[in-house]
Amino acid sequence: MKRFLILGAAIVLMSIPVSAQSLEDLNIQIHGYATQGFFYTTNNNIFTTDSSNGSPAWTEAVVNVGAQPIPKLRVGIQARYELFGNYSNAITLDWAAADYKANDKFGVRFGKVKVPSGLLNETQDIDPSYMWSLLPQSIYPIASRNGQLSTYGGVVYGVFALSPKLGKLEYRGWSGEDILASNDGYWLAYTESGLVLPNGVSGITTGGALHWRTPLSGLMIGASTNHKDKQTAFITSGAYTGKYALSEFNVPDFFARYEKNKLMVAVEAQRIAGSYSIQFAGPVSPPGRYDVRSYYAMATYKLTEKFTAGAYDSQTYDRSAPLGPARYSKDWVVSGRIDFNQFLYAKAEQHFIEGTDEDYDADLNPGGLKPNTKLTILKLGVSF
Amino acid sequence: MKKLLYALLLAASASIFVVQAKAQVIVIANNSVKASDVSKNDLKDVFTGGSTSLGGGSVVPILLKAGTAHEEFLQAYIGKNDAAYRAGWRSLVFSGQATMPKSLDGDAAVVDFVAHNPGAIGYISKASPHEGVKVLTVH
Repeated sequence: MKRFLILGAAIVLMSIPVSAQSLEDLNIQIHGYATQGFFYTTNNNIFTTDSSNGSPAWTEAVVNVGAQPIPKLRVGIQARYELFGNYSNAITLDWAAADYKANDKFGVRFGKVKVPSGLLNETQDIDPSYMWSLLPQSIYPIASRNGQLSTYGGVVYGVFALSPKLGKLEYRGWSGEDILASNDGYWLAYTESGLVLPNGVSGITTGGALHWRTPLSGLMIGASTNHKDKQTAFITSGAYTGKYALSEFNVPDFFARYEKNKLMVAVEAQRIAGSYSIQFAGPVSPPGRYDVRSYYAMATYKLTEKFTAGAYDSQTYDRSAPLGPARYSKDWVVSGRIDFNQFLYAKAEQHFIEGTDEDYDADLNPGGLKPNTKLTILKLGVSF
Repeated sequence: MKKLLYALLLAASASIFVVQAKAQVIVIANNSVKASDVSKNDLKDVFTGGSTSLGGGSVVPILLKAGTAHEEFLQAYIGKNDAAYRAGWRSLVFSGQATMPKSLDGDAAVVDFVAHNPGAIGYISKASPHEGVKVLTVH
């Protein structure tokens, strides 16, 4: 209910200026993009697609409408159609927010807002904004975006100039209710074993981030933390109903990026540790634990005006999991993007994946998982 | 050794070209903008959405849609080509962090808009008439 009130307030704020000003004064803008992807894997089927036979089940179309009725106030809304394997085939609300920026040192936005954690969380679903077809899955898993991307709440933000010798410090703070929906990829293993969380899991998330734009031109160093309160939800298995509980946990994240001329280098490391329990009738079962440590290092270089190439190494380990390929994933990637013009682009990417701690599902891999897989991705995108 | 000398000569020629490119584009602002000069870093912040103020006052960046002055401005002060530059803005727009700046058709349109809108800041070819606006020195 609270999230609808927050969203409602943002929408009301959006509509107030319409009655007072002409459409031209509102500086209304409409933008959008659409992408079509194609997967091919040598071994395991990935992302709930039949990728070992080649799969085009990755389509996105996004429409964004924004207005700036007065210089300090922006309002906007963004909707997305996403077809992604068996995970998604629906239109969803990316965000809808009102943003008041008093000055560079203080701004606030509220409604359904993007969570500005980590280096790329705010933009992880915006394909035109980066070179890669897939961001490092260790920290930005595409199958489990909706619980990380946005929250029904607010963000405060700003930047302070420290001094010419010390650079600038950006801050972001956020709080709100986030939802790990019942169809999120996080629950895939549950769903396939007959466990369903009909309402997903929701809870309060609170966090902050600092980005230090250092005096060395192009170098930014940052850290963020995201605290999730304890969350509980109903869980069903056939005719049985039980309780699912996720302990509170923090997500510390450290990152740095260096951009100079045609070169971009970035690194990020993150840890998620906690426990969960599933309780049906009967004696209390011991909680499951996870301690996932992830990192990536990436570099891109603009080889020509239109062509950019890059590579990254993305690794994730669940230190509480039993030894074996399911405990980790190592993903070596080479990638390229060509921008035909400012609207149209194409991407090609090759992944060399070791370990099976990836988004593989049992139903589409009935013969079991192989420890190594090569994944090829082709993608075409248009934006305006 | 000869190859190295050629490479150095080529690099030197390229740097001369960049200096010349800088000289061919000027940064203009509405007379309400308090600043009379701007650092390259602050200018980059304003034109990449990192800042909306200059010299203690609010500013609004105005872009050229295309053309030599546009390419030279991006090359000299932003360090990106047009596709990469607009991709950067799109990531801000699609994540709800900014509104895309106005892009106008030519130098005359930019001068006219900047002259009549408080806080507006833009760039044009040095050779274009620019009455009614102030020219900011970039250092």
